[in-house]
Amino acid sequence: MKIKYLILAFMLSQVSLINSAYCQNATTNSGGQVATVQPKIMVIPYAKEGEDLRTILEGDENKRIAIAKIKEGFDSRGFTTVDFVAKLKAAKDNNVFTSENQSDIKSQIIQMSGADVYVQAEVIVEKGQSGNSVKLILTAYEASTGNSLSNKVGESGKFYTENFNKLASKAVESCVEDFLNVMQNKFTDIVNNGKSVIVDISFSADSQTKMSSEIGTDKLPLSDQLEMWMEKNAFKNNYHIQGTTDLRMIFDDVKIPLKDQASDNNYNPNKFALELFKFFKSLGLQPAKDVKGSTIYITIK
Amino acid sequence: MKLHQLPKLIGIIIYMTMANSCSYKTLPTAEVNYLSGKEGTITMRAIGIGVNTEDAINDAEKNALNILLFRGLPESEQNVALIGTKETDDKNKHKDYFNKLYAKKRYKTFVMSSIPTTDLIKNKGGKKSIAVDIKINLVALRKDLEQNNIIRKFGF
Repeated sequence: MKIKYLILAFMLSQVSLINSAYCQNATTNSGGQVATVQPKIMVIPYAKEGEDLRTILEGDENKRIAIAKIKEGFDSRGFTTVDFVAKLKAAKDNNVFTSENQSDIKSQIIQMSGADVYVQAEVIVEKGQSGNSVKLILTAYEASTGNSLSNKVGESGKFYTENFNKLASKAVESCVEDFLNVMQNKFTDIVNNGKSVIVDISFSADSQTKMSSEIGTDKLPLSDQLEMWMEKNAFKNNYHIQGTTDLRMIFDDVKIPLKDQASDNNYNPNKFALELFKFFKSLGLQPAKDVKGSTIYITIK
Repeated sequence: MKLHQLPKLIGIIIYMTMANSCSYKTLPTAEVNYLSGKEGTITMRAIGIGVNTEDAINDAEKNALNILLFRGLPESEQNVALIGTKETDDKNKHKDYFNKLYAKKRYKTFVMSSIPTTDLIKNKGGKKSIAVDIKINLVALRKDLEQNNIIRKFGF
């Protein structure tokens, strides 16, 4: 009898342990509400190869005004952007980059900021006898895939003024709403049709397996097994193969849903990588996974 | 009903159908043109039809709003539809919202100004039309659509 109670007490303690490990903490419990994870957007100035972003921004108030106005546009839509200047300062403090590798500063900032989308603003000042003007080229990209989200050219119009700050503001005002509308349409498309991830599958140097290896219960080549899996698991059957060799297979655009279709929780590339990992395991392979932004690297040992 | 009355009844039905098909009908109009836009507002010139000036102005305001919601206004910052082009589907999906917006005249809260630019002109069929310059608070309209879950907020 005593043993029975002991077993029961042990089982109850296990249940409570599992609960405490997997269930949401009472202090953070949202009662099942799921807030969609929003993309991180950063507005950066355009830089030619070899140009120092710090010098560009610090030395040109027109560019700073243009960036502030663009961010204002995002704010007016209730969207908070990642502050480029703050990131720049943090990067400077942490000595993330040096002036020697300044050509790569942009990608370093984007990488360290964790931005999903970056908006690049190119400000062109034009002086002429018939008046001065400012042109603005706005481009938004998905950081990981390089997919273009929105492109607009804004113009201030020609004025007989030396107040380029005002002209820069006018150039932004002329296109920012349209720019945001196009971006929002692309976001809607992502919500409906999934977001893009890149899947890069390769083999470790000592691996005995190749893409042509016939594996699994049906003894099909690994590359075909992979494509069949993608066919089933890519959101709305939407994927694109960049290329396949015996040593590598790259899916340069695989759509994954923003939300788990069963639980309605947020879905991300890491969860998709886990599914892919399980698939390789089911084939009797030894995979290693690495997720960097929206790129999934699988290395088969 | 007696059998001899049947031809008479059919005659009345045919007459009423013909009379109805010959009468003047007000067709939906897209006569809304962009005038200017600044800092979250948009000004349009819209044509409204009605039996009197007030009716026609109301119609012009509804037309202007409808174009913004379901068509988009070329040349303006809102050149794509705020909601989408599936007008009937969206109106059915959010019946309560659109009932309040149009039937209960809630759209008036987004109209910043409404200035007639012509007199009431008499058209064919007895209807009268008017051209009105209408300024809409676009930011408030978008926020309202977002808050009522008609459109998604910016982002995912």
